[in-house]
Amino acid sequence: MALAEIKAKITSINAEELYAALLEGRQRFILDVRNADDFGRWKVEGRAALQTVNVPYFDFIEEEEASVAQVPAAEDVLVVCAKEGSSEFVADILKERDVNAYHLGGGIVTWGDLYDVRAAVVTDYGRIVQIARPARGDLSFVVISDGEAALIDPLRHVQHYLDVVNAAGAKVTHIFDTHAHADHISGGPELARLTGAPYFMHPYDAIHPIDMLPATLPYTYLSDGQTFRVGQFTVKVIWYPGHTLGQVNYLFTGPTGETFLFSGDGIFLRSFGRPDLGGQAAAWTPILYESMFARLPRHLNDDTLVFPSHFSTLDEGDAGGIFTATYGWLKQNNDGLKPRSKAEFTAFVLSHLPFFPPEYVEIKRVNAGLVQPDEDKASELELGKNICALSGA
Amino acid sequence: MSIQFDELLDVKGAKCPMPLVKSRKAINTLDVGKVLKVVATDRGSVADFQGWVKTAKNVELLDQETESDNGQDLYIHYLRRTR
Repeated sequence: MALAEIKAKITSINAEELYAALLEGRQRFILDVRNADDFGRWKVEGRAALQTVNVPYFDFIEEEEASVAQVPAAEDVLVVCAKEGSSEFVADILKERDVNAYHLGGGIVTWGDLYDVRAAVVTDYGRIVQIARPARGDLSFVVISDGEAALIDPLRHVQHYLDVVNAAGAKVTHIFDTHAHADHISGGPELARLTGAPYFMHPYDAIHPIDMLPATLPYTYLSDGQTFRVGQFTVKVIWYPGHTLGQVNYLFTGPTGETFLFSGDGIFLRSFGRPDLGGQAAAWTPILYESMFARLPRHLNDDTLVFPSHFSTLDEGDAGGIFTATYGWLKQNNDGLKPRSKAEFTAFVLSHLPFFPPEYVEIKRVNAGLVQPDEDKASELELGKNICALSGA
Repeated sequence: MSIQFDELLDVKGAKCPMPLVKSRKAINTLDVGKVLKVVATDRGSVADFQGWVKTAKNVELLDQETESDNGQDLYIHYLRRTR
């Protein structure tokens, strides 16, 4: 009884609380009351066990009995809508029927904009901080050592990076994008402007692959094998064409030999980056094969910790919300990395290409400086979760 | 080319779900065959009204328009009570 009373007092949770509940598997049921088109475009995604049902709020107005019947009475029900008004409205209807319902404060917009910051690796010479945007499956990193900070694939809301760096009393010295992103707008150019640190990119990604137009942003160009120092880390650039022609991986080596690979949209934990977003899947897939099976492996050992820039499902992370695995584990468990001939690999890839979101061509224009969207447009371009991985890999 | 209407419902400033809740109440007081013009500022109402009339048994969405009123976008819906 006491527990029920306490629960009854919860009328809403915020995006941060939702993320914790999804990671821990505590939120098992979500009722999304937006219209079917908006729901089809994107929704809150959790671990595989999460059950999500779409019953628009106007169905509750028209056919209350039938709508309520779609909600399991015994579950804790999180009601979600665009901004929050309708979810509160529906939660009230459910509460009158003794369902433990509460709504997502601020609506699904706040879930889309949630950034999650946590330490992924802490050593006495430095640390790696993971900055995730869970709704999109985007991952980015800050590596700090001896007061120097490198940013890897920073996302659009740049203040999160500045906060981490400032809290550590560090200075941004390098801004590393692994490639020209198609699914989200890079925070790299803005952070370069704000901090004065160079924004690094491989020159092959400074040409929009569909438009064949050169980028207008100020990059500092990388070359294969180039090295940097970030505090006590040495950083090596490994050219890894395939997902884009200019994708690179960054291999960070600590003073006692530990290695950390920032794989961008190369290797993911359960899949790998699709080679078709430049519009030339047949030509780029064999190039990806060379990167994945020849160019990269010679730089790694089985203990190398791999940090990708995306996840496709929360289940890829550990209980603490960190998305990493050793290269040895990945070779055993990531189906995409299993040995195949180039012909087998190419056939496999070309038969598993997922939907190509049309806005990805426009996002690459933004990341090349060819168009400048306002906040509304930028937000709309970044709606929903990334589709950068090969499907079924 | 605006549609002829019988009643006007101003829900400017009202946020979701109120434009639709108030429209439902207004439709209930309307005679069958009569047309309600709803003026909203909530952009989400455009897609929601389209979805709503698929569920609603006695409402037909005749047309939707967008107008600009001193820089503010207005979303206008014409609804007919069908029975």
